[in-house]
Amino acid sequence: MTVFEPRIVGFLCGWCAYEGADAAGRARKTYPAHLRIVRVLCSGRVDPQFVLEAFRQGADGVMILGCHPGECHYKEGNLQALKMTAILKKLLGQCGIQEERLRLDWVAAGEYGKLVKIVGEMVEKVKSLGPLRLREDGGGINSALTRH
Amino acid sequence: MSDLSQLKTLSRGKKPKIALCWCSSCGGCEESVFDLAEELVDIMAVTDIVFWPAALDAKYQDVAALADGEITATLVNGAIRMEHQEEMARLLRRKSQWLIAHGACAHLGGVVGLANFHGSADLLNRAYQEIPTVHHPAGICPFGEAPDGAGQVGKRGFYETVLPLNRMVAVDFYIPGCPPPPELVKEGLMMVLEQRLPPAGTILGKRQALCQSCPRRGSLPETLRLKEFSRMHQVTWDAAACFLAQGIICLGPATRGGCQARCLQGNMPCRGCFGPLDLVRDQGAKSLSFLASLADSADPEDLQRFADSIPDPGGLFYQFSLAASLLKGKADDQKNNH
Amino acid sequence: MARIGIYICECGPHIKEAIDLGQLQNFGQGLAQVVFAKSIPVLCSPEGQEIIGKDIRQQRLSRVVVAACSPKEHEDTFRKIVRQAGLNPYFLQIANIREQCAWVTADKQAATDKAKALLAAAVKRVIQHEPLETQEIECQGDVLVVGAGVAGMSAALLLAQPQRRVYVVEKSPCIGGKAARHAHIFPHLECGSCVLAPLLDEFLHHEQIELLTLSEVQGVAGFYGNFTVRIKQQARFVNPAACVGCGLCLEACPVRVRNEFNEGLEERPGIFLPYTGVLPPVPVLDKKHCLHFRGQHCQACREACPFGAISLADQDRLQEINVGAIIIATGFDLFDLQKAPQYGYGRMENVYTSLELERLLDAAGPSGGQVLLRNGRMPERIALVHCVGSRTARFNDYCSGVCCQYALKFAHLLHQKIPGVSLIHFFTDLCLPGKEGQRFANRVLRLPGLELRRLPGPEALEITAAGGKIAITYQDGEGGGEGVEVDLVVLAPAMEGARNAGEIARIFDLPQGAGGFFTEESNRLAPVATARKGIMVAGCAQAPMDMASAIAQGQAAAGMIISDLTPGAKLALEPVTSEIDAHLCSGCKICLSLCSFQALSYDEVDGVAAINAVLCRGCGVCAAACPSGAIKAKHFSDRAITAEIGGLLSDDRF
Repeated sequence: MTVFEPRIVGFLCGWCAYEGADAAGRARKTYPAHLRIVRVLCSGRVDPQFVLEAFRQGADGVMILGCHPGECHYKEGNLQALKMTAILKKLLGQCGIQEERLRLDWVAAGEYGKLVKIVGEMVEKVKSLGPLRLREDGGGINSALTRH
Repeated sequence: MSDLSQLKTLSRGKKPKIALCWCSSCGGCEESVFDLAEELVDIMAVTDIVFWPAALDAKYQDVAALADGEITATLVNGAIRMEHQEEMARLLRRKSQWLIAHGACAHLGGVVGLANFHGSADLLNRAYQEIPTVHHPAGICPFGEAPDGAGQVGKRGFYETVLPLNRMVAVDFYIPGCPPPPELVKEGLMMVLEQRLPPAGTILGKRQALCQSCPRRGSLPETLRLKEFSRMHQVTWDAAACFLAQGIICLGPATRGGCQARCLQGNMPCRGCFGPLDLVRDQGAKSLSFLASLADSADPEDLQRFADSIPDPGGLFYQFSLAASLLKGKADDQKNNH
Repeated sequence: MARIGIYICECGPHIKEAIDLGQLQNFGQGLAQVVFAKSIPVLCSPEGQEIIGKDIRQQRLSRVVVAACSPKEHEDTFRKIVRQAGLNPYFLQIANIREQCAWVTADKQAATDKAKALLAAAVKRVIQHEPLETQEIECQGDVLVVGAGVAGMSAALLLAQPQRRVYVVEKSPCIGGKAARHAHIFPHLECGSCVLAPLLDEFLHHEQIELLTLSEVQGVAGFYGNFTVRIKQQARFVNPAACVGCGLCLEACPVRVRNEFNEGLEERPGIFLPYTGVLPPVPVLDKKHCLHFRGQHCQACREACPFGAISLADQDRLQEINVGAIIIATGFDLFDLQKAPQYGYGRMENVYTSLELERLLDAAGPSGGQVLLRNGRMPERIALVHCVGSRTARFNDYCSGVCCQYALKFAHLLHQKIPGVSLIHFFTDLCLPGKEGQRFANRVLRLPGLELRRLPGPEALEITAAGGKIAITYQDGEGGGEGVEVDLVVLAPAMEGARNAGEIARIFDLPQGAGGFFTEESNRLAPVATARKGIMVAGCAQAPMDMASAIAQGQAAAGMIISDLTPGAKLALEPVTSEIDAHLCSGCKICLSLCSFQALSYDEVDGVAAINAVLCRGCGVCAAACPSGAIKAKHFSDRAITAEIGGLLSDDRF
C-alpha cells in the first residue's frame, strides 16, 4: 500500500506570508514538501475560483496565508479573504469537502516559525483526512467528445 | 432580429431540417418553443421538423436513418443523466450541422444538476422509498436489482453524475435561461435559418451581468455593507429598489443579462439561470465572493452570523450551474472516507 | 506557440546539493513549449546574465523561466536582462526553488519533486503572461500644504524651488502654529519665537511660497499628479501690502472680546494682532464682533489707519489651484476637558491647561510672563497633573509622549519664577524618551519643593473647589485615599487631531484613527504617506509628537514628493494594476467600496466602473470580488494563476 502524500496549494501574500516562507528558507527551517506556493499580491486577491480550481486540479488541501488583520499592505485586502473564507468553508462542507481542507491564517514576514508550524499541522490534518476525490464526469458510454 | 416574413424567400428550394430533443429537464424549455405562438407556425412553414418528441411522432430510427449532417440544427434541452439521453445526444450530434444547447439544463446542468449534491443510490432511495407522499409498500425501484431476481434492471442507464450537454458532445452555441425567453429561442432559430452561425461557444444574451439591464439599477448603492441577509418573507421590501440594497440576496451581479429581468419585473430577485459571464469559470464561486464582500464586519462571530444568513449557499449559488461548476457537485463520500 | 528558455541556477552548492538538477533539467526540457533547460552555476552573476541575454536573441526566446532564489531577491535583475534583450520584462517567471524548496526540504527526492512542480507551474504561468508597459502621465509639479505650523512650513521650504510653487493654506490669520506660541522649548528652554524666527522669516518671504491665511480647502478633485483644489479665503479687511503693523487701528477699535490666540487669557479688540510678535504682522478684522458688520456705523479702524490699508468692502475669495501632491499638516488640539469634569477645568479659575500656562510663562504673553492667581497673589503650591484624557480606555488610550517632558519643563520654569513654590506632580508613569528626556528629568527632579505622587491610573484623581483653594483627592499607589490642597493646577491634556480633522478627513477622503489623527499608510514603513496616493500627512496631524519630529515629518513628506514629482517631468505609473473591461462591466458597483485607495470610480454616463491607473496598486481585491470577471489583475490574472495552479498539481503525470 502506498503512503498518502497529500498535495497542498498555498496562496501566500507577497508582503507577509511569502516573505515568511522565504525567511524560513534563509533560516533553513525544514517543513514538509507537500506545500506548493502561489504568490499573490494580497490574500484578498484569492478568488474562490482559485481555491476550487486547486481542489479540482488535485489539491487535497488549500492554505490562504495573509497579513495579520490591521497590517494588510493594502489596508483591508486580508479582510476580504476572511469574509470570503467564512462562506466558502460552508459551501465546501455542502460539497463533501471537510472544512479543514481549507485553512486561512495570518503570517507576518518575520513569523517563519509560525509558517513552519502551521504547514506541518496542515499536512498532518490533510493526511488524516485522506485523499480528496472530487466528483468526476464518469458514467458515460464514451467520455471522448464527438462532434459528428 | 429579422422579420419572419422574410424567411419565405430565404427558404425557397429545400427546407432546412430541424430537430428538437428533450433530455433531463422539466419541459419548460419545450414551453418556451410553444410560447413563440403564431411565429412558431411561420417557422414550421419554412422548415422541416424531423424530430420533436414533445409534438411529433418521430422515432429514434427515423433520425438514425438520416445521413450524417443532414439535419441543419438540433435544439437539445435538458441535462444528460441517463444512458439513452447520451445516446440521443450523440446521434443528433452526428446527424446535425449545428447542435444548440437549449435552456439552463443543457447549458449548465440546470436545476436537475442539483442532484449532484447526492449520490445516485440516495436519490433513488429517496424517490422510490422515502418520499412521504408516495405509498409504495413493495419498494420497487426501476433501477437496480429486479424484485424477481431477474438481475439488474436499468442500472446501467442511470449515471452517477448529471452532466451539461457539452460534457458529452460538442455544442455550437447556447440559448440560456430557465426557461429561455421565447425571444431568445427565436433569435437562435433565426441564426440557423439565416445561416448566421455565431462563434463557437457563443451564449446568447448579453455580455454583461443582469444589473446592467435591471429596472432597479437606479437604487444601486456605491457602498453596501450588510450585517446579514434577509429572506423575502422576513422583511417588507420596496418593490422598486435593488434587492441587494435591501439585504435580500440577488444573483444579478454574477448572472448573464439578456432575460429582460423577468424575475425582477415579477418582484423576485435573480437566481442565476442565465449562468456566468464569459470570463467566469464558476458562477457559484463568483456569487460567493461578491456576496462575501458585502459583509459589514471582520469579526469572526459577525462573519459566522453573516454566513449563517445564507442557509444553503450551495443550492443558492449553484441553483442552475452545479453540474458545470468546478466541483461538479458533492465529492464522493465513500472514496473520501477511506 | 511560445518559445520558452528555462534557466536553473545551481546557486553554488545551495541548490545543486539539495535538488537533483539533472532530473529537474530533463523534466523542464520535456515541458510543452520549452526550447531548452539549462543549469548555470550562478545565474545572477554577470556571466549568467550574459547567457540569458544571448539566448533570448539567438534562440528567439519569447518567454523566460528562471528557477533560482526567491523573486524577492532577483526578479528586478532578471526583468532587466529580459528587457535589455528586447523582450517585455514581464515575459519572465521565477520558480522559487531555493528559499521555498532547496533550503526547506530535508529529503533530496522530495525537494526534486517539489522543484519539478514549481518549474511546471512557472512554465504554464509564463505562457499566460501578457506584456505590460510602464505608462507615463503629465503631472503638476506644484504642491499644496495645509497648515502653516512647523511641520507644514518645513515641508514648504524644502519643496519651494525655482520650478515648483508651493501653496500653503492656513486656517488662522498667522503662521507658526502652536509652536510659535511657546516661550520655552524643551529641553534647552530656548525661546520658541527665537528658535523659529529664521524658519518663519524665510517661509514668509520665499518667492515660491504662496501663503493663504484665513483659508480653508473646500474641495479636492483629481488624483496624484493632478489635483484640483478649491480654496476659500476669508476677507482680512487689511491689505498686507499697505499695512506697516503700527497698531493704530487696534487702539481705535471700541470692541473687546476674549483673545483665543492667547487661550482666552486676555481681551483683544475687534481688529487685532493675534499675539505679540505674530507673523505676518498684519492685523485681522474679526467680522463676527466688528460693530460695522453688526449693523452699526463704526468705521473707527479705517479712519485711524494712516496708510489706507483697511477696506471694509473686502470680500471672501474663492480660488482653484492645480497641484500634483498635498501635505496635510493641520496639527493638534488638546483633549476637550468638558468631557472630564473631574478635573474641574472651567469650574475653577485657577485650573489651567498646558497651553494656557505656556502663554502665561511667555514674557510677551498676556500676563507679561507672570504666573499669578486670578486674585493677583503668587501661588504657593502648584499641582501638575499628567495624562489628562490619555492612557485611559474612557477617552484616549494612547500616550501623547510629550506631556511628561513639558510638565517637567513647567516645574523648572515655575521654580525659577516663583521663589519657594512647592510643586506636586500627579503621574502614573513618566515617559521620557530620546536623547535628552531622562537627563533633563534628572535635573528637574532634584529641585527642592518638588514632590512626585504616583497614581494607580491616570483617572485616580479628582479636583474640586475648597474655599479659595483647590482640593485634589487621589488614590495613592496602594489604592488608599489621600487629599491635598493647592493654589493652582496645570493639566496636561492628551493631544488629539485638530478639532476640524473630521471635516478635513471628509474633504481629502483620508482615514482617521485613534484621537482623530490621520492614519498613515504604514506606521513603520510609510509614516507620512496615506492610503490616498499623493496626499501626505506630517506632524501632529498624524500623531502626537514633539517639534523636532514634526519638522522631520514635514521634511520627509517633502522629500517623498520631490523624489517622485519633478516639475516638468512625467509621472511613471506602476504597470501591475488592475483594469476593467468596460464592455463586460454591468455597473453592479460591488467593486467600488473595496478599494482602499480610491482607485475605483463609477462612470455615470456609461454606467460602468473604472480604475484609475495612477491610484491603483494592483492588489487585485476588486478582481477577486468582481462577479462578472470584468476586472483583470494584471500580471496576476485569473488565467495566469489558474495556469500556475495547474502546473503545481501536474505531478501525477510526471
